[in-house]
Amino acid sequence: MAALGRQKSNILDKGLGKGKPEVNIATYALLFSEIVQYCQNRVQTVPELQNRLSEMGQHVGSHLLDVLLLREKGYKRELKLLNMLLFIKSNLWKTLFGREADKLELANDDERTYYLIEKEPIVNKFISIPKDKGSLNCAAFTAGILESVLNGANFPAKVTVHWHKGTTFMIKFDESVIARDKLVEGR
Amino acid sequence: MTIYNFYIFDRNGVCLYYVEWNRRKQSGMSSEEEFKLMYGMIFSIKSFVNRISPTDVKEGFMTYKTSKYRLHFFETLSGLKFIMNTDLNVGNIRDILQQIYSTIYVEYVIKNPIIELDKPITSELFKTKLDDYMKGLPFFPAKVS
Amino acid sequence: MSRQAARGTDIRKVNGELFTLTYGALVSQLMKDYENDEEVNKQLEKMGYNIGVRLIEDFLARANIGRCNDFRETADIISKVAFKMYLGITPVISNWSPSGDEFSLLIENNPLIDFVELPDGHNALNYSNLLTGVLKGALEMVQMDVDVRFVQDQLKGDNLTELRLKFVKRLEDAIPAGED
Repeated sequence: MAALGRQKSNILDKGLGKGKPEVNIATYALLFSEIVQYCQNRVQTVPELQNRLSEMGQHVGSHLLDVLLLREKGYKRELKLLNMLLFIKSNLWKTLFGREADKLELANDDERTYYLIEKEPIVNKFISIPKDKGSLNCAAFTAGILESVLNGANFPAKVTVHWHKGTTFMIKFDESVIARDKLVEGR
Repeated sequence: MTIYNFYIFDRNGVCLYYVEWNRRKQSGMSSEEEFKLMYGMIFSIKSFVNRISPTDVKEGFMTYKTSKYRLHFFETLSGLKFIMNTDLNVGNIRDILQQIYSTIYVEYVIKNPIIELDKPITSELFKTKLDDYMKGLPFFPAKVS
Repeated sequence: MSRQAARGTDIRKVNGELFTLTYGALVSQLMKDYENDEEVNKQLEKMGYNIGVRLIEDFLARANIGRCNDFRETADIISKVAFKMYLGITPVISNWSPSGDEFSLLIENNPLIDFVELPDGHNALNYSNLLTGVLKGALEMVQMDVDVRFVQDQLKGDNLTELRLKFVKRLEDAIPAGED
């Protein structure tokens, strides 16, 4: 798998076994804040900053996927779109943030677009900045994680983050994904 | 029971925050001068209190009282200084000042990457949270101007 | 978590892998942004310093400790309270200098380096250099000028990761103008 490819053999020998050793939320918050600051100093606009955060999230997601799939599902790949989304809403979210995402919705007018909604994303809880439109939504980082997890699982998509009902992750799938899913479903 | 006003200074004497709720008399000098005076005096009192102490020093300076008001002081190991003036009916509120530090300053200033720590705090969120906290205190007067 | 509740008892946690991978994403980003390992090391230390000056406030707010009387107490607090609180590990304190102004922290299971291998050609990279900055920044805020550096690094083939801390001097509070 691409994510594991560049690691040498002795890393692969180590078990994934430790499970989920946890870290104080303050430690993560401080690290994350500094990362936001670092990115902020290198860009000019809020959208650029969100992009940078999303890129870093993608780095996390690409390494996370295989660990998760192996541990959670015995390495059985999801083929159905809805199941993959449900896996993300519950397993992935629970692993990362300790609880499920709040809601998963299909867009009314577009079968390629789904919305994953979180009233109060954990990453935004760390950062006590005003949560209004036009200002930075640090959940762009999470959007990046989502995007690379989906891409890595062979459900290519673009994920963006919006201030709506709390925070909404808009997931727009490639046309090919929808077409393939229809075949799989036998529709 | 009343809280008159509240100051936060950093380790370099910069006044990070000042707010008054019931101050009935002004000091007659500009804010800037007042902050300098307050910080300088506290610095001197701390030093004096420790020097003159007839026994081992533990906490050092904590409070002073006049016939009309009481000044409460709390300093963190990192040099942050919290100063609150109340009327005489308020007892030892060191733990309140400590709470303000740990649940409001740390939560809404330290954990906010946008805020620069060595400048006065302008965050609306901080102001609101502090205000809410103060208004929830038993010795905060029910009717406030 | 009620914000008004007493802190110190309520330590919420986050998934350890998320933490490790986020740190990894940062180091990767720095390696892209900077030309060489030395520059990345410097950046990591700088960012660590920024984290340290904030972390100390969170620490003081939670840990409820008094001023340390000597460097040995400081070492104990760093290892048994701070490292435990923030990284869930308790480094072993050892190799005290005869004058008591220098000691080592030995770390066997550094959470920053789970699943990490140094890519080829980057032997000068101190992957965990954030830690040196964090310690330096945090200690500076409690008026200690301490030198912190890596002596051993598991990512470079050593058995342990070893951080060496050397007390340089006590920092005095700035005296306000007009006072003596």
